[in-house]
Amino acid sequence: MDFEQLFKDLKTALFQGLGEQYAGFKKETKKDLEGFLNASKVKLERWTKLLASNELSLEEFEWLVKSQKDIMVLKSLEQVGISKISLGHFKNKIIKTVVDVVKGIIF
Amino acid sequence: MKALKRNFYIPLIFLATLLGSCTALKTAPFDQYSYQNTIAIKVDAARLMDKATTPYTENEVEVEEVKIALEKMLIYEQNKPNNGISYEMWKLLSDDDKNLLAGFLKRWKEKGTFSPIFLQESKAQVTEAFDILIRYEGKKDKETKQSLLDLILTN
Repeated sequence: MDFEQLFKDLKTALFQGLGEQYAGFKKETKKDLEGFLNASKVKLERWTKLLASNELSLEEFEWLVKSQKDIMVLKSLEQVGISKISLGHFKNKIIKTVVDVVKGIIF
Repeated sequence: MKALKRNFYIPLIFLATLLGSCTALKTAPFDQYSYQNTIAIKVDAARLMDKATTPYTENEVEVEEVKIALEKMLIYEQNKPNNGISYEMWKLLSDDDKNLLAGFLKRWKEKGTFSPIFLQESKAQVTEAFDILIRYEGKKDKETKQSLLDLILTN
């Protein structure tokens, strides 16, 4: 499994999907999303490998990705405060796309 | 006599200015109780999570104790003035529809046990969340000290 390629595909899928679905997909949100993906890359790689080797189930993988999103919200709160968090609006879409892309490549 | 009166009012003026500046900062000052309790709950939660490869039903008493500790902290943080960020953080940790500590406990109850790999990965996520809360409270200490220092130097 080429994780770098998977990560590239994931980025493309997320930016295209969110850009098409949300008219208000602004630069700031793109920055948030980019930040989420970059900060989660090492964990996503590890979890994807564990999923591929059947050491994690797809449901467990999804739980962990969601927990990573919650950690990013905590970090955003720590750094910028409540009013500037925009990542939350795209939560479900982001998680679903991450899981779908990984699932499509592994299974 | 006049000098005595003046000496009496100076600390009062200083105190009023200090309180005024704390309000203006709009962030609750460092709280030793919050800091210590966050560490205590993190340690208790980590020890409890280590048991999640055993059936949930064997650990219900300890789960309940951790849940009560979470609830107490949530209410404590909710009622501190200018404490919106810490309160939001505790809400995330305590919400069983999110995927941090309360969500971990909810899932444990639903699944019965966890695999060692999932436990290792999910525990790391929950403890990282606690570390963010501890770090944030610790930062308030530095901010409070800096505010006091600024105030002393500018008065």
